[in-house]
Amino acid sequence: MNASHLRTRREFLVSLVFLAAVAAVPLFVTSGYLLGIVIVAMYYALLAIAWNLLAGYTGQFSLAPTAFAMIGAYGTGMASYHFGLPPAVGVPIAILVSAVIGMGLGRIVVPLRGPYLALTTIAFAEIVRHVARNAHEYTRGDFGMSVPLISSDRVMAFYLMLALLVAVQVGLYFLLRSHAGLYLQAIRDDETAAAGRGINVIFWKTVAFTVSGAICGFAGAMYVHFSGLASPDIGHIFETGLVLASVVIGGIGTMIGPLVGGFIVQFAAEGFREFGLRHMLVFAAMVILFVRFFRQGLWGLVKNAWDRLFGQGAARPARQVKEAGE
Amino acid sequence: MMTLELILQGLVMGVFYAMMGIGLTLIFGILKVVYFAHGESFMVGAYTYALIAALLGLPLPIALASAVVVGALLAVIVERLLIRPLYEKFGDWQQMRDEYAIIVTFGLSLFLINAANQFLGPYPYHGPALTDIARFQFGDIIIGGHRLVAGLLGLLILGGALWFIQRSFWGKQIRAVAQNRFGASIAGIDTRRVSALVFMLSGGLAALSGALLVPLFHAQPDVGMVPALKSFVIVVLGGMGSPIGAIIGGLILGVLESFGAFYVSYAYRDTFAFVILIAVLLLRPQGLFGERAREV
Amino acid sequence: MSLLRFENVHKAFGGLKALDGVSISLEAGCMTGLIGPNGSGKTTLLNVLSGNLAPDQGDVIFDGRSIVGLQPSAIARRGVGRMFQITRLFRRLSTLDNLVTSGCAFGLSFHDALDRAERLIEELELTAVHDEDGGNLSGGQQKLLEFGSVFMGAPKIAVLDEPFAAIHPHMREVMVRFIRERHAEGHGFLIVSHDLPVVLGLTDDLIAMNAGQVVARGDADTVLHDPLVIEAYLGETAVS
Repeated sequence: MNASHLRTRREFLVSLVFLAAVAAVPLFVTSGYLLGIVIVAMYYALLAIAWNLLAGYTGQFSLAPTAFAMIGAYGTGMASYHFGLPPAVGVPIAILVSAVIGMGLGRIVVPLRGPYLALTTIAFAEIVRHVARNAHEYTRGDFGMSVPLISSDRVMAFYLMLALLVAVQVGLYFLLRSHAGLYLQAIRDDETAAAGRGINVIFWKTVAFTVSGAICGFAGAMYVHFSGLASPDIGHIFETGLVLASVVIGGIGTMIGPLVGGFIVQFAAEGFREFGLRHMLVFAAMVILFVRFFRQGLWGLVKNAWDRLFGQGAARPARQVKEAGE
Repeated sequence: MMTLELILQGLVMGVFYAMMGIGLTLIFGILKVVYFAHGESFMVGAYTYALIAALLGLPLPIALASAVVVGALLAVIVERLLIRPLYEKFGDWQQMRDEYAIIVTFGLSLFLINAANQFLGPYPYHGPALTDIARFQFGDIIIGGHRLVAGLLGLLILGGALWFIQRSFWGKQIRAVAQNRFGASIAGIDTRRVSALVFMLSGGLAALSGALLVPLFHAQPDVGMVPALKSFVIVVLGGMGSPIGAIIGGLILGVLESFGAFYVSYAYRDTFAFVILIAVLLLRPQGLFGERAREV
Repeated sequence: MSLLRFENVHKAFGGLKALDGVSISLEAGCMTGLIGPNGSGKTTLLNVLSGNLAPDQGDVIFDGRSIVGLQPSAIARRGVGRMFQITRLFRRLSTLDNLVTSGCAFGLSFHDALDRAERLIEELELTAVHDEDGGNLSGGQQKLLEFGSVFMGAPKIAVLDEPFAAIHPHMREVMVRFIRERHAEGHGFLIVSHDLPVVLGLTDDLIAMNAGQVVARGDADTVLHDPLVIEAYLGETAVS
């Protein structure tokens, strides 16, 4: 087995343990309020995982993850508000719409790199939000649209969201294990080299955007059926900040980092609220510190500590390797 | 003459956009990354002006000057703490500098917005206008008094900044670093100092732009977000890295918005910029005035 | 019939004519050196071949079909293996994964790619850095790895841009041996290099370019004594 497979498998196994622990939460927690917090945490974890697929594994720094959540939210929201369709129909519509728009955006931005991609996607996200705010006849603007709850039973809603999270995580694992995972990472590291080795860069970038968009849309649709309101705030730039924070704090380019990061960010947000401290302030500071000093995030720190305590091959500095090779 | 009035209104806004854009384009020029916290220099300038002029009651020129100083200072500190790794370590970082730059400056932007919210509160701070005259009238054309005075002042500063970049000794060094950082450093240019200078200049200009707009928009934590996003549009429109392009781009955007808001839709007035941004990036990525860079 | 044919290829950057009517024909299984002073258009020619640049005029025929306008990835899959002057590899993938990725992209099954990758790692003496990220390898090791990546497929022609620049002599030996063996198996090579002794050690078939044109083609003796080639190189010396 090769190194990246082992790495991915280890991260996946740890994430399964984590998800199992989450699954046990309703056994001990009965408060609807607390369950609600965990449901929202799962929503952020989903967005973080989807964004990490684009940014962490494919190197495409899109700034539009919450725009796709919003597209999903309004997809099912409009289906139910205008046509009275149930979530069982609305949610698939939402996934389809966000996947198609993700594919379109992905195909369009293929030639753009780095700063140009970031600017295009942030412009796209703002356009989507402006339309949602201003197209009153269809979206009810800033009031938002009330949407039926997917289940009046919190525990049921909890397990539905968890099922989605597990499905996404497992699906991502199989994607990354296949050659597709290697192609995406190859594109991240060097597009020109990837094309030179025969990888169809246009196709795989578009795939990454489509899958990521679909996951975000799915998450957004589930979220509104839990909260009961589809509003433009879902796509606010601060929300994008929270998604970035989840990924960067947890560990970018890993399977476990964004998942745990989403939970940390949501729980900490609730905690800070108690102290009257703006949670975004703390997260933004943490994002800056992490990306400046601990590029690998919390998962990287945990892994290093583990290696130091138990491993023999504790992370050799790169320079030593070079000398050994020369 | 509705058309002339719309053009004039648009040009005045364009001056402020250009003040924002010129700094952003210089930063892009020397670092080749987008600086997402530019709007927060604007925000800091707006607050400084409002606090000093309205709360302390000091004369307006002092308030404007302090806004520039605070904005420049903030930008220099940021440069020293967060931006320097982008060029000091670029051997190892080449692959990851885009991702670092995007995350760290995006994070910084959120940090500063929320810091303002935490310590100054979410409510707007008002600042006095530069003139007591409510409006000027030239024939049929009417324009707000503060708008015109601030616009003219901004134009003056913009001219000075352009002279500095194009003609002065320091400006030549900036352009040298923008063209080839390595070459410039071999030719004896202190690239660190040039980098600090660029951040100082762009922070100061953005803060001044914020200060001049306080009487129109007030100072609030997220007041810089929309201008920052628009300055991206300008920079892309004018060709990333081109100061003259930024000025022309700013004026074009100002006028387009002014017409769009009147003839197309007032509700979508802030949306046009983004549509323009995407269109330009896709159809002419080098900008309207830039030259296409060669790759491989 | 020739494997690769450039037909009157032109490419200009602004006013600079990087390629000014280049026509070259290469046979299958060739071993050809492409020499010329800096700025003579060698790298531009390779970029046109690999699809990274579109020619302004002219055609490139590979394996009987025009490849102008195809995506770089499609050209690579047809059998043009490209090694870049500045080493290009996947910095955050391990040595093995670098090779496996290329193998899969060239159409091998995952299993076969893994097998071949392990063998190439042996052959290229990269065993010590088997699981190390590509970005952590030394410059020479990176070159070897890029080399191996190209041969995870079955390139009909391998195009090497300055493969011997600034690498350890031992690694150069490994590389030269590798090239000889692959050539013996029937892979063609087009080698761009300043390092004439190494090129001459590998091949007797030279093409010389200057100012965007082919000035000489033939065996080493003919090309190196060609007055135009001498002028090209002396001209460069005189300037620098």
